[in-house]
Amino acid sequence: MLNMYKIGLVLAVGLTVIYVFQGFYPEFMSYFSNAVPPFIAGAAVISSGFALRKYGRNLRQQFSLVWLCFTLGMALWFLGETGWAIYTLLLGVEIPYPSIADVFWLSGYVPFFIALYLYVKTFESALSRRTLGITMVAVSILSVLVSAALITPIVGAEEDSVTMLVDFAYPLLDLVLFSVAVLGLAVFLKGNLGKSWLLINAGILSNVSADMLFSYTTAQDMYYSGHLLELLFHWGYIFFLLAFYVHTKEL
Amino acid sequence: MRVLPPLEENRWREVLLEAADEGLLILGESAREAIYFHLQKTCSLAREDIPNQPDIFALGLEKIFGRGAKVVEESIVKSLYSKLGIRYKGMENARFTDYLNDAREHKTKRLNEYEESVALR
Repeated sequence: MLNMYKIGLVLAVGLTVIYVFQGFYPEFMSYFSNAVPPFIAGAAVISSGFALRKYGRNLRQQFSLVWLCFTLGMALWFLGETGWAIYTLLLGVEIPYPSIADVFWLSGYVPFFIALYLYVKTFESALSRRTLGITMVAVSILSVLVSAALITPIVGAEEDSVTMLVDFAYPLLDLVLFSVAVLGLAVFLKGNLGKSWLLINAGILSNVSADMLFSYTTAQDMYYSGHLLELLFHWGYIFFLLAFYVHTKEL
Repeated sequence: MRVLPPLEENRWREVLLEAADEGLLILGESAREAIYFHLQKTCSLAREDIPNQPDIFALGLEKIFGRGAKVVEESIVKSLYSKLGIRYKGMENARFTDYLNDAREHKTKRLNEYEESVALR
């Protein structure tokens, strides 16, 4: 298992180095930043697929359904990344926003949420009211902070209502996922499965930051292909990839 | 607690193992197999050893699930109680082994009552 952590680390560091020094190869970077995400997301789908193969023998059982939903969620995000890459690399057109890629990304939240919810629901009696209360307060505060940070730049950008809705949707949906995932972490933290839940939480938090920055930079017309914020999306997929792999090793 | 004769001991083992099998189904069949595999790997505890080392079993579950082990244990205990015809009632701060002892005491008490009633007849 240590080898997988090492691979994840090398991948994360390698991507960071490529992004940090992008000034030396701007043309390569515009290609690279669009071509790489489907591969990383695809690796996360494969990792989740392995977990589904292990736990999903009987899809009438709840735990199998959990892994089907995780895999479906990751697959939809993979399609989102692929859609984006097709727009930029194959069609060579300016990506509309929102686009078909956003449809896939946003749809991916539904199965991902169901997976987290069903998993945590099985263990809900292990959660004290205090833990539930603290988590809900913390997530509510975080939601208010994220909304407050985005409201001025997004509304000020005078975009159409659908675009504004999508701008807010990503970070807020990430927080919805986080509100459940953090409960899972509270349940399993002291056990070996805690490692997997820690990685799931890291992946979601990485996406919260990335989506927040993406919404902000697109609203301000500051986003470009190869922007450093993309690293957060890539790290997110790496965290998910590791989380699913670690889960199959620890259970 | 009364020392159970061999047949009862075997029956107890059988019921407890069936309860463990059923209780671990909370996560599905594949996960149950995975749990047994990990218990063997990390605690050197085979499924058949659970009745002899329930404390190690509970420890192994905690090692995998952390706080979530309580839910798995509860599922097993509920299944055990139902098999023994005892009504499950949660006990505050009770450990897995406390529930097993409680179930066993109940069972022994009932057996004694039954034997006494047969003797009276």
